[in-house]
Amino acid sequence: MSENNNNTKKISSWVNKSNRSVYYLLGILIIAVVIMSFLDPNFLTQRNIFNVLNQQSTLGIVTMGVAMAMIAGCIDLTVGNVLACAAGVAAIAISHWGLSDGWVILLACLVGLVAGVFNGIIVTKTKIDSFIATLGLMTVYQGLALIISGGNNIYLQGKFGWFGTYKVGGIVPLPVVYFVVITIVVYFVMRYVKYGRKLYAIGGNPEAAFLAGISLDVHKIIAYSVSGLLAGFTSLIVISRIGQSQPAMGVSYPLESIAAAVIGGVALGGGKGTIPGVFLGVILLGLIRNSLNIMRVPSFYQYVMLGSIIIIAVTLSNIGSIRKSGNPS
Amino acid sequence: MLTSDTEFIRESDNPDKPKILLSVKACSKSFPGVKAFNKVDFDLYAGEIHCVVGENGAGKSTFIKMLSGALRPDEGVMIIGGREYTFLTPALAHQLGIQTIYQEISLAPELSVAENIFMGQYPVNRLGLLDYSTLKKESKVLLENLKIDLDVEVLVGELSIPEKQSVQIAKAMAMEAKIFILDEPTASYSSSEINHLLDLVREVAAKGVGVIYISHHLEEIFSIHDRITILRDGNKVATHLKNEVTEEQIISEMVGRDLSMFYTREMVEIDYSNSIIFKGFSGGDVKDVSFEIHKGEIVGLAGMVGSGRTDLVRLLFGANQKQSGTVIFEGDEVDISSPSQAIQAGLSLLTEDRQKTGLILEHSVKWNVSVVQLANSKGRLINERLETQSVDDYIHAIDIKTPSIYQEVRFLSGGNQQKVVLAKWLYANSNIIIFDEPTRGIDIGSKEEIYKLMVQLAKDGKYILMVSSDMPELIAMCDRVVVMRQGRIVGEIDRQDLSEEKVLTYSIGGIL
Repeated sequence: MSENNNNTKKISSWVNKSNRSVYYLLGILIIAVVIMSFLDPNFLTQRNIFNVLNQQSTLGIVTMGVAMAMIAGCIDLTVGNVLACAAGVAAIAISHWGLSDGWVILLACLVGLVAGVFNGIIVTKTKIDSFIATLGLMTVYQGLALIISGGNNIYLQGKFGWFGTYKVGGIVPLPVVYFVVITIVVYFVMRYVKYGRKLYAIGGNPEAAFLAGISLDVHKIIAYSVSGLLAGFTSLIVISRIGQSQPAMGVSYPLESIAAAVIGGVALGGGKGTIPGVFLGVILLGLIRNSLNIMRVPSFYQYVMLGSIIIIAVTLSNIGSIRKSGNPS
Repeated sequence: MLTSDTEFIRESDNPDKPKILLSVKACSKSFPGVKAFNKVDFDLYAGEIHCVVGENGAGKSTFIKMLSGALRPDEGVMIIGGREYTFLTPALAHQLGIQTIYQEISLAPELSVAENIFMGQYPVNRLGLLDYSTLKKESKVLLENLKIDLDVEVLVGELSIPEKQSVQIAKAMAMEAKIFILDEPTASYSSSEINHLLDLVREVAAKGVGVIYISHHLEEIFSIHDRITILRDGNKVATHLKNEVTEEQIISEMVGRDLSMFYTREMVEIDYSNSIIFKGFSGGDVKDVSFEIHKGEIVGLAGMVGSGRTDLVRLLFGANQKQSGTVIFEGDEVDISSPSQAIQAGLSLLTEDRQKTGLILEHSVKWNVSVVQLANSKGRLINERLETQSVDDYIHAIDIKTPSIYQEVRFLSGGNQQKVVLAKWLYANSNIIIFDEPTRGIDIGSKEEIYKLMVQLAKDGKYILMVSSDMPELIAMCDRVVVMRQGRIVGEIDRQDLSEEKVLTYSIGGIL
């Protein structure tokens, strides 16, 4: 049963479970694009496409970290406020200390990384449910962001603008490049590095992973660190674009990143999901927002619709996972 | 008070007769592949303590579940309080006064003893507020009646487990229970705590409650029973009156399987010059356990459920914290205090519940087979081609039936799932393989395949420890069996002396 089975094996390897949800998503995305391009001829222009990608790049980068934690069965709600903290530090470094751009980038990433390590340690060592633990930590970072900035917006006085607005070849915005590069790196890690596979195992069945000799805590701490690091990095794009840091920035990130990951096929309970899926989830969310804009839906209503879409997506994914866990008992 | 079975029936014309509380008539229950309960008759009189004994899997829990409304019998009736029922629901069982006392205590730890006893039926005063003084008074009376020495105002969370169990019994009495079911009530109790509980059970029975008492411990049963019923493979073997039966007789009735059920294995030359020695393992409920396995030997670990077998294997594997214990493998001492150290030392553990702790159900066969090797080998990157090739090789070597290596393991049959677990340990190059209940929930055909694989592994010079509740399997497969009871090894039996009676006698603490 080897020769003639090789073909079937190849096919089933392509259409295996996780890939399938990516294809569904791709299908939905294409349908949405087709519909939108009928509704608005400007939709499928190069400009609008890069516009959507550019808009989603910050959420996208944050989501890559959040998705890694989620695959390991951990929720990270701190990303928005960690981003605000890093933004505050970076803005002070630019405007008050006059550090060079390289040092600023390093510093913001460091702030995010330290916060991430701290989150990971708190979650793993206190054994509090990660949702509750990071909910608490989220408020801690909210306070820290206010302390760092003294509660004020900090202006960059025209510096550091290139980081978030420069267009490569006059077409591709730098944040899109960051987003794509980071997606590829995370994809590689989750697919070809043992660490990534271990995260899947931990999220899939922590006890089985433990008995397979995997150190749960270390791996989770690393996942949180990556999540924090990416939030720190993203803060640079945001402040560069708007020319200032605001202590209350980033509040929508935790929910939207989880939603994008879930739409992209990551299981809320962990153990499942692919990075290409997450990428598409982020894009789909951006597409919806963009469509609502093009259709001139007032922004207050957009919140209501986006929130509803998120709840529907998460519910659908939950129903799926409940059905799955409904083993014959 | 109770003399004989027939006397009950005779006495039923007498107004002072013990009343029949429960009468089970020809009840049966099947699960796919097993007849768990086969046309069993059983009755229970008011004021009687009726013990039920049987090996693991004899049908005791099926019986309890039917009486507490958790399982619906396939056929037969239960006559309770003069009415016939073909099945019960939990609510109905409760309403009929059937109370099951489990060891995992269902009390509210943040409430007082009194509040727990009368939970759901609190006395209220004219204003509709909780009447504390009546509550306290009534609880006190109730506890005194049962000779339970406890302060009714203490929070339940501060009590010991035996004390909590007393509260639970008092609570059941407050709900006017007529039938008590106690399932292994004394697991992990000290002997004085056991005596306390037995006294309480006698007290309860003296109040006219019928008690069904299920236990593995023969001394307990002999000190408390009015009648004793023996189950075997879902059948009722016999019911005996007090003082009309000996320990030996009970044991012989619990065993006595047909020899044709036994698998015949191929014997393997054992290399006695090489061994793995586990010395002085303690931790949790396990106390000072030592034994050894030789190269090519299959050693069985027997004992009743709750005797500490699973705790012991987790301890050996570094998954539970040990207080003491050393491992000497082929002459060298190895340090094992975590699963990853155990894996480095060549140990593997096929857990009892493969779905909960052995497999990642939503991951593919490939990922499940490779996870241990991948997590414990050098290098950071996954060699996908090698991984696929190796997984494929193992699937063929032990004949796992799956449409592809990308199939999620939850879609495989129990036998194939077990083989996936085995494959992952073989891929990780294990030498010492611990099987905890390797054939539980597996159909007969796949069982034989697993047995063959185990023998093959022995031939390949592996060291095998097999934990099992399935006595025929232990006797058929093992070169030697060690028996655990209450966290200790209480006996060791070589293959030529191996019999169900011997194993059982050690496991339930009879005298050999």
